[in-house]
Amino acid sequence: MRYVVGVGDMKAGQKGDIIVTHALGSCLGLMLYDPVMKIGGMLHAMLPLSKINMEKAQANPFMFVDTGVPELFKAIYNMGGLKGRLIVKAAGCGSPLGNNEMFKIGERNHTVLKKLLWKNSILLKSEDVAGSKSRTVHFNISTGQVIISSNGVETEL
Amino acid sequence: MKNKSRVDILSKVDSFPSMPGAAVKMLSLLDNPDTTVTQIEGILRYEPGLTANILKLTNSAYFGLPSKVGSVKHAVVLLGWRRLVQLVMASCVSAIMNKSVPGYDLPPGGLWRHSIAVSVASEGLMKELGLPSDDEVFTAALLHDLGKLVLGSSIKDDIRAIEITASEGVPFEVAEYMVLGTDHAEVGAKILESWSFPPKIVNAVRWHHEPDSAEESDVMLDIVHVANVLCLMMGIGIGREGLRYEPSRLATKRLGLHTAHLEIVASRTMQWVNELTEVFGAK
Ligand SMILES: [Fe+2]
Ligand SMILES: [Fe+2]
Repeated sequence: MRYVVGVGDMKAGQKGDIIVTHALGSCLGLMLYDPVMKIGGMLHAMLPLSKINMEKAQANPFMFVDTGVPELFKAIYNMGGLKGRLIVKAAGCGSPLGNNEMFKIGERNHTVLKKLLWKNSILLKSEDVAGSKSRTVHFNISTGQVIISSNGVETEL
Repeated sequence: MKNKSRVDILSKVDSFPSMPGAAVKMLSLLDNPDTTVTQIEGILRYEPGLTANILKLTNSAYFGLPSKVGSVKHAVVLLGWRRLVQLVMASCVSAIMNKSVPGYDLPPGGLWRHSIAVSVASEGLMKELGLPSDDEVFTAALLHDLGKLVLGSSIKDDIRAIEITASEGVPFEVAEYMVLGTDHAEVGAKILESWSFPPKIVNAVRWHHEPDSAEESDVMLDIVHVANVLCLMMGIGIGREGLRYEPSRLATKRLGLHTAHLEIVASRTMQWVNELTEVFGAK
């Protein structure tokens, strides 16, 4: 199956599946992979903290980093993933030009992610974050390979 | 070369499709405080397809009307005729804008979805900031990137030069100007001028990336400027240029904007964008 993860959305899959998300701007794309079970999931979260709109967070926890990340881990654990085996990769969290602090939502998304992972003693394997480009992510669940494409240039994460 | 590009591009403005007749007639009503329901009905009587679209839009949850609207007259009563005129305009330009845009790497429907998003975010920001509602904001936001339709092919031809310029940290519209001698905001404003749009809308489109360069500061302009960056950050209509635009500090100061305003509006925008793109029939 080929799954497309929209903004404020999460998809998990197994061997044979491809999970894609398009156009990460300041949003966070987070990929989890268990190489033994060959299962994985991807989150596309828009905003750092759910307290800004609790009602939305209840309806859709994937919109926010602080509620979406735990949900992604839960989904993978429910499918048989083991914490010690998980490979965690992040992408996105971009910002527009200049130093207008209030537009640094991408940076704050990244900070909230780092804090969450740190609290749970989970390490990021790799990341392609910050800057001002748009990123599309292809996640192959058969191999665990994550490809980031931006303006026609593809790189493996 | 730069000036030749400019001349070539601006000549394309002249051959750009003209605005549909019904929208032109509606637009002329905007300046007239004595516009009546009968006049609006008179224009729409000969446009059954358009009327159906308008009623569909009017009934979408975004406009939050308490009862189902079945006639133009009823729509005017509940929405106000100014709002209705904006919807007519939106329906008319959707056909022009609902296509792919080469150069900026926007897929079919990408620009249209972005346009709707900036309209929804603009109105959301106005509401969140407690500003008096202004129906024209919806139209200005909807049309802010119209110039991309003309500039796209030139961007494609000169993308290397533009990206080299932009890679030095220059905002994308400045890179467009440096390489092509014009930018999509100026081109968009020229099209709207030729369509005889109200100067306030033309102004908001012209300076949507550089609100501090406008002759006078304007709330509608500042709002569209901020909403545009916010929607790109959310990835709606983000293309080749990514986030390479600079939000103006003066504009956010003028508006009294804070992070919380941006985030709350962002959290509400996506749902309405999905709702409205569906009603408009966009992909
Ligand atoms: Fe623009
Ligand atoms: Fe835009």
